[in-house]
Amino acid sequence: MTCRRARLAAVVLGSIALVGCAGDEATPNHTHGDLESARVMGRPTALHLGPQGDVGQFVAECDFSHSAPVDPIVYPGEPGASHLHDFFGSRNVVADSTGDSLLGSPTTCDLAADSASYWSPAVFVDGVKIDPILATAYYRAAVGVDGSKVVAFPTGLAMIAGDQSSTSSQSTEIVGWVCGGSSRRSSDLPVCATDTPLRLEITFPDCWNGEDLDVPGHRRHLHYSQDGACPNSHPVTLPQLTVAVTYPLSGEIFGLRLASGEPHTAHADFLNAWDPDRLETEVELCIRRNVVCGISDGRLDG
Amino acid sequence: MKKVLTFGVALAAMGSLVSCGGTDEESADSTSQATSAPEQTSAPDTEAPVVEDGVSDDGVLQVPQEFDTIQAAVDAASAGDLVLIDVGVYNEAVQVTTDDIVIRGVDRNAVILDGNFELDNGFRVVAANGVAIENMTAQNFTKNGFFWTGSTGYRGSYLTAWRNGDYGIYAFDSVGGVLEYSYAAGSPDAGFYIGQCFPCDAVVRNVVSEHNGLGYSGTNSGGNLVIIDSVFRYNRAGIVPNSGSYELCYPQRATTIAGNLVYSNNQPDTPAIDVALLAMGNGILSAGGTGNVIEKNRVYDHDRTGIGLVPFLEEDANDQIPTKDAWEEPCSESKLKDPVIPDGPLLWDSIDNVVRDNVLDDNRRADIAVASAGTDLWTLGNCFSGNTHSSSAPLALESLSPCGSALSADGDWVSGDLVVINWLVEVESAPPAVDYKTASLPDQPTDLENMPDASTAPAVPASSTPPVVDLAAVAVPDAVS
Repeated sequence: MTCRRARLAAVVLGSIALVGCAGDEATPNHTHGDLESARVMGRPTALHLGPQGDVGQFVAECDFSHSAPVDPIVYPGEPGASHLHDFFGSRNVVADSTGDSLLGSPTTCDLAADSASYWSPAVFVDGVKIDPILATAYYRAAVGVDGSKVVAFPTGLAMIAGDQSSTSSQSTEIVGWVCGGSSRRSSDLPVCATDTPLRLEITFPDCWNGEDLDVPGHRRHLHYSQDGACPNSHPVTLPQLTVAVTYPLSGEIFGLRLASGEPHTAHADFLNAWDPDRLETEVELCIRRNVVCGISDGRLDG
Repeated sequence: MKKVLTFGVALAAMGSLVSCGGTDEESADSTSQATSAPEQTSAPDTEAPVVEDGVSDDGVLQVPQEFDTIQAAVDAASAGDLVLIDVGVYNEAVQVTTDDIVIRGVDRNAVILDGNFELDNGFRVVAANGVAIENMTAQNFTKNGFFWTGSTGYRGSYLTAWRNGDYGIYAFDSVGGVLEYSYAAGSPDAGFYIGQCFPCDAVVRNVVSEHNGLGYSGTNSGGNLVIIDSVFRYNRAGIVPNSGSYELCYPQRATTIAGNLVYSNNQPDTPAIDVALLAMGNGILSAGGTGNVIEKNRVYDHDRTGIGLVPFLEEDANDQIPTKDAWEEPCSESKLKDPVIPDGPLLWDSIDNVVRDNVLDDNRRADIAVASAGTDLWTLGNCFSGNTHSSSAPLALESLSPCGSALSADGDWVSGDLVVINWLVEVESAPPAVDYKTASLPDQPTDLENMPDASTAPAVPASSTPPVVDLAAVAVPDAVS
């Protein structure tokens, strides 16, 4: 479905080049590209609302790196098979990147230890590609979760949040659009004030089965916590990662499409390649000890 | 090894931050990144216990003589210890989690932590109480030079912060502090920042802040918070306390700003966050601040106001503005309340501020000013008396709102109005922000005042009770000739 949507977008966008989608259609039996519905992971029962800082957190701010039609999780080793993604974090992401291959790579994040990769579908307005400004990654315990139980992501953990095949609005507990630092998400594009940038927020699952870095379909190794607890099937409590992608857009926006389709197909991916020692330090100091180790309020460098 | 082992045992209950059985070097690696020690005077034998390796048990942990890295020494230190750092350039981002230790450089201008634009904070003190950092430089960090968070009792003395990506010297959600005899330049946000605390019980004194987006910023901070005897110059804007629901503990309140020299904050070539562009050209600007006392400052050469009390417009608000009866509530209580996200933007007016006995000159829009965006100005309770000035907005401000008298709608509150709403338009043509990594700065000072007897003075951890400031003794500082 990914490719069909991307191709549709390409047609709509006219001359905008969305490179190669022929991959999976030319090889319909290819096992790559299979992506299960996000529904199997459940959804958060609540979100952190209000000002930042109600629970411990650490934050990485990662400038936009580049765009490419690659997806190391869903289309590993198949450059051009994916719709166009915007990448943040590691600068070295290619179609066959793994957590290990990205470890220690150069990064756009504001600390060198975060060489993970974050990506989201490219955004177009009236057919014109809009490069995002940055992605802000907030790491904290999910609402109601005992932070002292949280363990760091293993290197190479692959996570996808949101459903790129969605045909209608997704749960705003998982995906939503916001203005600036507001924590109020909407499934429709909001009208942001002139000096308040549009952001896309995606909240990732925070429970892991403790065994698999990835699985066929890319979903079932993870689950969202429910009312502060991880299910028995996914007993390992992870930080809840929320990624906010900031765009140089505000006001009323017409004609916005994602490389994956309509705005309600929003999603994001995370491939963990943090320096493991530093990640452990951050989880220990900021989440298990419940300290606000950093703030990013959605305001921008002028 | 003794001290490291002791620390490791203490930490074992909460997780494995240090490799207890390992070497100093290993313990450093577990909590800091990209550590590289300067040239050492003696290479430690990493196999031998530290105590047999020339580390004397005298409460002074020397870097690099006894420990390869600052992080290793900090991890090994116990309450009351002094980590003493020798001259050198240290590529470390140091985490501090031990209460009541003192970390000091032997020479402020030659003990340099350098983040190389890759490391995030020079020092990050994470919920450790009583930590004092003294007499050194932190430069080229992507976030902050010196950062305390969640701490009770903190002190930064004789520090230099240079070209850091957020703040120079930063205390967040921390109380009982002193920032003093320090210098900060080249940050897009504030050179000095104390935020999210009430009561803060803190003093900023004898600091110089220049070529930043903001000289001082304090969002939602106040309560026995004093900014005194300091210099704020050549920033986009000088001293800018503000309210906002993007962080906790609003509104900003009860800060005393006294005896400061504030001039020429119109600097067009600094790095700058968006708010710094909006506030550009103001000396002391309360943006939705409440209950502040601004007195005996000398403020001159600004394109807009010398001292301005203006509203802060928050388009993306995350909670309602608390009613006045909640303003005495300590941060520890107010932060627990559930937010109510408003449907529209918030306008945080500046309320109940006292502006008196300042000396102002050549502030081109107005030496003193009060403004709102729709609220009747006489209802805000701000007062102005005894200021040496030649212009104001509204025109007869001191007559309209003298301190000690009830304000009324009588008089001309309209003529000369600041029309502050226009700033939202003018910001579009402000000189654009410059990347902090490449912004033009003056030559980095190499002769800033050192802490007296830095190599020999005993360790004095930070007190949670700030020094008492004699406000009566504060005088308007002289202008720079």
